[in-house]
Amino acid sequence: MPLPRLAFALADESGQSGSSNAALATGTTLNQLEERTLVQEAQAGNRLAFEELVRRYDRDVLRLALNLMKRTEDARDVYQEAFLKVYRNLHRFRFECSFYTWLYRIVTNVCLDHLRRRQARPEDQAPEAHPAHYEEGITDFFERQKEQRPSADPERHLIGQEIQKRLASAMECLSPRERVVFEMKHYQGLKLRAIGDALGTSEETVKNSLFRATRKLRSQLGELR
Amino acid sequence: MSPADSQQSCRQVAPLLVFYAYGETDEKEVALIEQHLTVCAACSAQLAEEKKFHALLTLQPQEADRLDGSGLLLSQCRSELAENLDDIVRPPVLEKTPVFSAFRRWMALRPVWSGAALVFVGVLAGVQATQWYAARGTANTLGLEVNVRPAPHISDDQLSKMAVAGINFMPATGSGTQNVRVQLNAEQPMELSGSMADPDVKRVVMYMVKNGDRFDPGTRLDCLEALKEEAKDSEVRDALLAAARKDPNPAVRLKALEALRDSTSDDAVRELLMDTLKHDTNPGVRVEAVNLLVGSLEKPDASGEGMPVAGMPPIPGSDAVSATAAAEAQGASSSTVIRELEVLQHHDPSRYVRLRSAAALRQLNARSDR
Repeated sequence: MPLPRLAFALADESGQSGSSNAALATGTTLNQLEERTLVQEAQAGNRLAFEELVRRYDRDVLRLALNLMKRTEDARDVYQEAFLKVYRNLHRFRFECSFYTWLYRIVTNVCLDHLRRRQARPEDQAPEAHPAHYEEGITDFFERQKEQRPSADPERHLIGQEIQKRLASAMECLSPRERVVFEMKHYQGLKLRAIGDALGTSEETVKNSLFRATRKLRSQLGELR
Repeated sequence: MSPADSQQSCRQVAPLLVFYAYGETDEKEVALIEQHLTVCAACSAQLAEEKKFHALLTLQPQEADRLDGSGLLLSQCRSELAENLDDIVRPPVLEKTPVFSAFRRWMALRPVWSGAALVFVGVLAGVQATQWYAARGTANTLGLEVNVRPAPHISDDQLSKMAVAGINFMPATGSGTQNVRVQLNAEQPMELSGSMADPDVKRVVMYMVKNGDRFDPGTRLDCLEALKEEAKDSEVRDALLAAARKDPNPAVRLKALEALRDSTSDDAVRELLMDTLKHDTNPGVRVEAVNLLVGSLEKPDASGEGMPVAGMPPIPGSDAVSATAAAEAQGASSSTVIRELEVLQHHDPSRYVRLRSAAALRQLNARSDR
């Protein structure tokens, strides 16, 4: 397993940034800093502070990207593109909203761009298979789900596979915006207002998107319930 | 509840159940839904379906768990990001003092309003500029017109605090008097324009002349030029006297004496001239005082009578008594002048003043001999 390059980056940068703020010289101290201070430090050009901000939120960002894109390569692209955008535009952030909201605005925009691009290329819409299963010669998508939950009983597992299949198919029926709203509400547990802030739209519009998304999903999954 | 009421409630509540299941309804909606659910089996069933649907989705493994259950992808992403950050140029640092950032952002988000505002500002600026240019290029040719802005009366306090930004003199055409335009920097900037007959204009100009230490010498000279025509006015004459006595600038004192040229018959003026002869530090000013005194002794006064030189008989007039008294006073005055000139002729530190005094004495003696 390759070591995270961030650790090296921190070590490289510590000497350079020590003069600007001694408090930021160690990772331990960085963890204790408030978000606003970190953002201000990052805006002042402190690379360590920026990387600490990344570490605070990138797990959720990658999770959102994986759930939405369903392919590691696409999620990886979203991750890179989103955080590089944040890095390049951080000097424009004025604390008019929380950093989290601002970050998610960028992330969701990048996700929507990717989803829309993908929607224009239907051949790219198939979800990605787990790499390990190819090595075992298992090519069927539902067969590959077995290993993930070895403790499940066969009947329940079969139903689960069918649901997943339907769910994946149903998700494809949603528009990119509906998919993002549903993902942020259902799996990330964000409030509708926060989703509206992130998407740069009103709470009412988000409500409509969520309503349409749940209706479509329920209609696709109807007979399985 | 009647069936119709129940149906109406169902229409209100059913769309809210999705959000109720997510906990995204407000208190009012919650109360409405919960009250309705107690009486409506259909909506209760729908809510149960919603909850079941949520549970079903929640039980399914997420793509993120399937694709990156070990966290390896996250590590790779972090590593790639660090590399990318190394490669890109450092972003610009935060602008500490954003100039009109909120305004620019407002304009960017509202192009129609911004366009309308810009057009309005442009029209306003155009109209104002036209008016300003017209006012700037047009001289006030009506001598008696008074245009005082914004207040017609200037208090002593305002006078004591004012500074003069500019003063313009416009020669009058026809029979009008000279026009003056004064721009003042007071607590409230103002502009006065009008002829010297205007009390405020005259007051400001006189104030500048009297308070030589507060204003520019060039401005004071301009003011004296404007006041010259009004020297017969006692207030103006007092201002001129004050300038001639106290102004720190010799050119201004000289100009003040010139402005008093036609008022040398006045005792105060003559007294000033004598004091200037004795005490003024500038030879040029003293010479001008000599000139004025000699001129006053030579020319006829306003009543048509010449000022007698010492030893000359008084000129007969219609009022013999007053003429005699005046002649006596003037005779005494002329003898004083001659005595002073004799002193200057020998003792003045300036050679030019000594020469001019000697010439003046010769001139006066020649006149008395005729």
